[in-house]
Amino acid sequence: MLVGLFIPCYINQLYPQVGKATLELLEKLNVNVIYPSGQTCCGQPMANSGYEYESVGACNNFVENFKDFDYIVTPSGSCAYHVKKHYNIIPQTEDVAKVRNNVYELCDFIVNILKIKNVNARFPYKVGVHKSCHGLRGLRLGSCSELVGESFSLIEDLLNEVKGAELMSLTRKDECCGFGGTFAVTEEAISVKMGKDRIKDHLNNGVQVITATDTSCLMHLEGLINRNKQPLKVLHIAEILNSNI
Amino acid sequence: MTNGIKTERKMSSRDYILSRAKTNKPDAIELPKIDLKVFDDSRNVLNEFIKKVETAGGNVFEATSNENVVSQVKAIFPDAKVNFSTLKGSESFNTVNFESIKRPHDLRDLDILILESDLGVAENGAIWLKDSQIPMRVLPFIAKHLVLLLKKDTIVTFMHQAYQKLASEDTDFGVFISGPSKTADIEQSLVIGAHGALSVTVFFI
Amino acid sequence: MNHSKAATIFNTNEKKVDWHDKALWFVRHKRDKSVHAVEGWETLRSLGHGIKAHTLSNLDNYLIQFEENALKNGVQVHWAIDGDEHNRIVLSILKEHNAKKVVKSKSMLTEECHLNPFLEADNIEVIDTDLGERIVQLAKEPPSHIVLPAIHKTKEEVDELFQEHLGTKPCDGDPQYLTGEARKHLREKFIKADAAITGVNFAIADTGGFVVCTNEGNADMGAHLAPVHIACMGIEKLIPKQEHLGVFLRLLARSATGQPITTYSSHFKKPIKGNKMHIVIVDNGRTEQLSRPDFRASLHCIRCGACMNTCPIYRRSGGHSYDATIPGPIGSILSPGKDLKKHSSLPFASTLCGSCSDVCPVKIDIHSQLYKWRQIITKETPQPFVKKASMKMMGKIFAKPMQFERVGKVARWSLRNLPNSVINSKPNVWGKSRDLPIGPKESFDEWYKNRKKDE
Repeated sequence: MLVGLFIPCYINQLYPQVGKATLELLEKLNVNVIYPSGQTCCGQPMANSGYEYESVGACNNFVENFKDFDYIVTPSGSCAYHVKKHYNIIPQTEDVAKVRNNVYELCDFIVNILKIKNVNARFPYKVGVHKSCHGLRGLRLGSCSELVGESFSLIEDLLNEVKGAELMSLTRKDECCGFGGTFAVTEEAISVKMGKDRIKDHLNNGVQVITATDTSCLMHLEGLINRNKQPLKVLHIAEILNSNI
Repeated sequence: MTNGIKTERKMSSRDYILSRAKTNKPDAIELPKIDLKVFDDSRNVLNEFIKKVETAGGNVFEATSNENVVSQVKAIFPDAKVNFSTLKGSESFNTVNFESIKRPHDLRDLDILILESDLGVAENGAIWLKDSQIPMRVLPFIAKHLVLLLKKDTIVTFMHQAYQKLASEDTDFGVFISGPSKTADIEQSLVIGAHGALSVTVFFI
Repeated sequence: MNHSKAATIFNTNEKKVDWHDKALWFVRHKRDKSVHAVEGWETLRSLGHGIKAHTLSNLDNYLIQFEENALKNGVQVHWAIDGDEHNRIVLSILKEHNAKKVVKSKSMLTEECHLNPFLEADNIEVIDTDLGERIVQLAKEPPSHIVLPAIHKTKEEVDELFQEHLGTKPCDGDPQYLTGEARKHLREKFIKADAAITGVNFAIADTGGFVVCTNEGNADMGAHLAPVHIACMGIEKLIPKQEHLGVFLRLLARSATGQPITTYSSHFKKPIKGNKMHIVIVDNGRTEQLSRPDFRASLHCIRCGACMNTCPIYRRSGGHSYDATIPGPIGSILSPGKDLKKHSSLPFASTLCGSCSDVCPVKIDIHSQLYKWRQIITKETPQPFVKKASMKMMGKIFAKPMQFERVGKVARWSLRNLPNSVINSKPNVWGKSRDLPIGPKESFDEWYKNRKKDE
């Protein structure tokens, strides 16, 4: 099995440590993983802003870089969701179909493809899971509070096996953080309020570290936490799963 | 129908709307099949009905006969002055003579109204009333206190079964009533008693 | 005013935002409790979706069947292409009956057509009898929610309103007292009304009848007392058979307020002997929406408001921020279809979190439609040059790996080295309330390349 690693554009430039943790984790799990260096961005920032026709170049570049891998793994629910759902705007060649079928968010890949739940990590902290929306309601990486059905959560499955990690229960289990791409800037007041409310929920429930499958959410929450000097740390799930503290 | 405004269109509004609906509708999509078994929840129908009536703000009692209902009602509402009941044998309870009622508005002071129903729904505590059971349509709404009689074996589980029963009826007007009227329009505080009945009392007979 | 501006103003009062948000979240919570107790709930949603989709695919025939049966029932049927025609029709019926005093139960359609001001201009008194609607009517405001019209009003505000207009005593906002006074006041209106106007929750093709759902009983108090009953409906209110009410009446109240059913579900078929009943069937942009494959599912809407209760943006900005008859997520996919330019900010008033689609009882893919409207809006309405140009530039940069690396390097350097006063200056909207990450020296790409070199 040959896995291509897709590192989202903002992780590549601003949070490379998330990419490093993802790569190291996959290698620890004996995955044959390559990072094709011609990659750029999945196209989501333009598409969600209403400019999907400007994202065609990015989509084609993505497919070109990843068409020869068995699986494409990325530490981002929203990027994986975007490729799966919105790459219908480019001609559906065999390569495009293959890429769309085989792109996986990291936790999804570990639990459902590698069939592993215990990654031998140690992280003795009180952890609050922020259930990023595109991963949750887009990729269905877990059950959401709106739907009636069996309860499940891939990220919690993995965290439950991390030694010392204590999962804290939140008051609103899966409310959006308010990032939403350019929404964070075009509807700044609401975006900030939504982020502040999420943070309050974690603080009220004794969380020390907030984690999620998406750095976009975490970047937004961390920006608020740092500005307001609040006692919380923010780490991507890859960083926790790659920890041995 | 419209007050004389001339339009250039040769078509009537009806034909215009219908032609647009015909042109713009998508290709035929089949009606889904409804398999009621998927909703089975093995709850006790009677207990569920009582629970739901009470949650909706109503009260449920047992009664042995029409006379027994009337005497229980008199005990619950001792100050009621204007009363009407459709129950056989309860004519002495009635203070309203329908022959003398010219318009439904004359019943605005109706305190107690006792009616009989032949259909209840367990999942929501709803009771069906139809034209033939209500002397005047406004009665169950204008009465201050509504009393309803029901036989236990007329209660069905879900709305689906209720409509199966209603399929054979042809009523000019009918209403499912679940509990007394209510509103939460002022800061989400539930207040029992909006424009309809202030209370609903259900008797099993 | 676009949504963003209005929402910013709403957010200047954080206490009020918290209060509004909690009130609506509580309704969402009640909905959750209620639906999680229903065996087969997700199947019920699929059935609701399927029945509506089927109905739309045969809409013209069902409309004809409905009219035929309604006429057989002795009901008069009228057709209105737009809101103006609807208003003229209603006025002419009222004039025919010399109706000067009208009571109206909740009908978002009549809001959409702006019926009240039209009738009032002709000296007709129109009283909205739903308590929430009466409150906003007295306050001279539009409703801010389609099911809870006065959710934005505190009880103290209602107290003051009623003192002024109903002559009530000051009561610290006591809901029991205020509701009791409203009951007395509105009962007089019901007794004196010459005509009653109601909405229609569901119109049944195979019987020609229709259903009106209320908790207060106001639709019935109006319709059964006044000599004339006018029921106004959009063409999409149709369902094929009476048995389908079994599906929709199980879905509606649970989704709206968490109740298993509203207090009253009134099934109208024939008028009271001697009384008159009229149905006004309205298009007003619905056949146009029907023609749009991407957006036609928005016509499934049964007006439950669940999407508003769950939307984190609606809860924190209030219905009035949308400046549309129907606000919130469903309003944001219906309104652009009517006036793309006026409502162009609405599909962007969302993070596309998808919660609305998951609570919708008829499974409208609301968040997908919001995304699709965005693509149309950027093409068909004037966009700020900077946004258009920067998106085009982004598109070019992300197509070429070399350019991407170059730009990334500059961004990281700036974040690392420019003083905070420059980074968080006014043009940087993000920086108003949030810190930016520290620009790392190496991108992941550079780190990987260096690691490979060292191997």
